Amino acid sequence: MSQFRYISPKTKEEVLKILEEEKSEACIVAGGSNVLPYIRDKIIPPKLLLDISGIEELNYIKKNGSNWRIGATTTISDLISSKIIREECNILCQAAEQFADPLVRNKATIGGNLADASPAADTAPPLLALDAGLEVESKGKKREIFLKDFFLGPRKTALQDDEMITGINFKSDSLNKPGCFIKLGLRQAMAISVVTVAMVLEIEENRVKDIRVAMGSVAPIPLRLFNAEEFLKNKHLNDDLIEEAKNKVYEEVNPISDIRASAEYRCYISGILFKRALEKLTNQTS
Amino acid sequence: MKKTEIEFTLNGKKKKVEVKPSDLLINLIREELYLTGTKYACGIGECGACTVLLDGEPVLSCLTLAITVAGKEITTIEGLAQDEELHPLQRAFLEQGAVQCGFCTPGMILTATALLKEKPQATEEEIRDYMRGNLCRCTGYVQIIKAIKSCTTGGEN
Repeated sequence: MSQFRYISPKTKEEVLKILEEEKSEACIVAGGSNVLPYIRDKIIPPKLLLDISGIEELNYIKKNGSNWRIGATTTISDLISSKIIREECNILCQAAEQFADPLVRNKATIGGNLADASPAADTAPPLLALDAGLEVESKGKKREIFLKDFFLGPRKTALQDDEMITGINFKSDSLNKPGCFIKLGLRQAMAISVVTVAMVLEIEENRVKDIRVAMGSVAPIPLRLFNAEEFLKNKHLNDDLIEEAKNKVYEEVNPISDIRASAEYRCYISGILFKRALEKLTNQTS
Repeated sequence: MKKTEIEFTLNGKKKKVEVKPSDLLINLIREELYLTGTKYACGIGECGACTVLLDGEPVLSCLTLAITVAGKEITTIEGLAQDEELHPLQRAFLEQGAVQCGFCTPGMILTATALLKEKPQATEEEIRDYMRGNLCRCTGYVQIIKAIKSCTTGGEN
């Protein structure tokens, strides 16, 4: 491996100070399950590795009234073992349980999964469907970026060189409705997704009152399907309508072909998974 | 690159070593401390052969920088047996014929110890789910699952 300096600060303030001084020279690492293979393959040549995994103040899952906050270094295993995530934010729990394997989940963090900005990031679709925002900080400055505006392309984000994700937030109102996450991979373990879908659905008198859909691995970024959502809102769900909505999905997705699947197959499957998610959630609500 | 001295516990014993920031835990364990039970296979966290316990949790030593284990406790396959007495999982793997070429075995057993600690009554489905990241290229999964199941409370022999 190439050589680099290594610092493991114990506080967020220390990290922000180092980021201000080093800017793009520094590479933040937490779990290391993305960063270390990237260094090995010379995709990133860091001069300084800034290890934030030991910063206690960034590891939390908090619910205050209807406001949820999850710290950036919360691991995927932390999400699975959290009682309130399981009981009250199950859509995220479902995604965490299908994430890689227990060995990776013990180290991989939710902040790292988002900052990596892979179109296949498993925590992104459920968080997009929950209208999540990212708490982003640099020295002396805080801002919030909606997750839907955060991803700019594969491995490209709206983060500046001196900024870090400190937390993720969302509101409970989307959690009172049934939600589901479906992942299609080439196998169950350690699969990078072919297509994923996360959906939150509220039906009132057989009408779609609220729907939020996001998909992974169907576009250069994890994608919120606003057009398909708008199309379904306030309509009576029936088989014909679902078929029409699938066409909206086909229009919105823009997948690539790679070793896992062809673009045509991904496009086709995105409609199928969309329909499956709708059927799963309507069966739960009826 | 400058070396840093770190101290950590390896299989119950304190170790003091000098490492470079880029040194991987697997290389430290195998090449500096000569414990070759931990296996190097894919090197990118896909196969589980390099699994060790870090403060009791199974992690991939090929994706862990040695410098990050300062102050922590590492258990490798060499640390499971008590004197001459094998760990129940090691005995079960032998009894069930769950070892073929043996390359995945250390990782399998370490992940399984963490599983049994978390879920002593794990069902077959739970075992398969938890072991999903440890690959056996001889595909001896049936015996591996059987061996782990035999160590659960209420597991068959």
